[in-house]
Amino acid sequence: MNKMAKGAIATGVGVILLVGGGGTLATWNQAQTAAMGSVVSGDLNLEVNTATNIGKWTNAAGTVVDIKAYRVVPGDVLTYTQDLKVTLTGDLMAAKLAVTGTGANTSFLDKNVVVAPTTIKDGVKAIAADDVLTPSVNGHVVTASTTFTFKSSTDARDSAATKAYEFAGVGYKLVQQAPPAANAS
Amino acid sequence: MHTPRALKAAGLVLAAVVLGLLTVQGTYALWNSAVNSNAGTVQAADFRVSLTDGPTNTTTDMTVNGLPATVALSTTPIGVVIPGQSVYAGVQLGNVTNAGGDFKIRATAGTPGITDSSGSGFASVLSVKAVAADTLAQCQSAALYAGAKNMASVDIAKNMTGVLCFQVTLDASAPGRLQGKSAGISIPLTVDQL
Repeated sequence: MNKMAKGAIATGVGVILLVGGGGTLATWNQAQTAAMGSVVSGDLNLEVNTATNIGKWTNAAGTVVDIKAYRVVPGDVLTYTQDLKVTLTGDLMAAKLAVTGTGANTSFLDKNVVVAPTTIKDGVKAIAADDVLTPSVNGHVVTASTTFTFKSSTDARDSAATKAYEFAGVGYKLVQQAPPAANAS
Repeated sequence: MHTPRALKAAGLVLAAVVLGLLTVQGTYALWNSAVNSNAGTVQAADFRVSLTDGPTNTTTDMTVNGLPATVALSTTPIGVVIPGQSVYAGVQLGNVTNAGGDFKIRATAGTPGITDSSGSGFASVLSVKAVAADTLAQCQSAALYAGAKNMASVDIAKNMTGVLCFQVTLDASAPGRLQGKSAGISIPLTVDQL
């Protein structure tokens, strides 16, 4: 018997054995679905709410001003407001909303201007940097507000005219806080 | 196998970077979202007041390089002043500002300082009256100075002008020995933001 024939016989025996193994299907078995469903992630997002207030400066008279062209004089009080939409979903979702980039970047003298710390309000309720936000505020539009005051007491023209206060670095950050069990993972 | 030192160093740095990233990556494990305020820059206006002399129409800024400027006013009529008569001068002040909001100023002519140039006493027989006006041309009108005092002020809105007129009178009783004498008159101008 040549090698080719021996190989064919061995293959055939193997196939027969495999078919024989199918006999295990003859014993009982039962299956159940786990019904585990789907794990769905939550969401965290912070965005400018363009539908209501993309960000605007107003002067003491309540007039909206173009800050690129507007020049302040002693006694001017300008307020910047901006609406932010908060998205917070997830059963254990918790986050803090903070103002970033508030370091003064200015050529004004400190004695001549006052920049009040930026405040964020959800309706009438102020949100502090340490406040932990939960999904209860999901979809809320909060309002950030910053006030710049050029003091009326500014008297020396040479040290106060044509100065600038840069706010471009100011931003807002929504940061998730670790769920209680997160440290274990 | 011989490994060059540079390769070893590179490997060490790479391992350090990988370890470092692995160490800090936990801070990225939680979500965060940030937006910029795009609040821009608040810029202060300039505070400029221009001074224009009437007859010569010469204009200068009230301050130059932070120092008070001096403007020499020409009188009308030009020449000698006769006892009992007056000469007139005026300065037009311009509120030249780039302020974004309202920016009204008040220009005030203070108490005139009259000084003899030779100690002749000529200054004692000169008097100055100041008054606000709308145009420099009005300064030559004697009627304008009825009831005027030696100080006056004018309010000037943004990008507008105001005029302060001056009347210099030689007392009718000035003695003849003062003929040919001269005196200098200095009038301080101050401008305040309202």
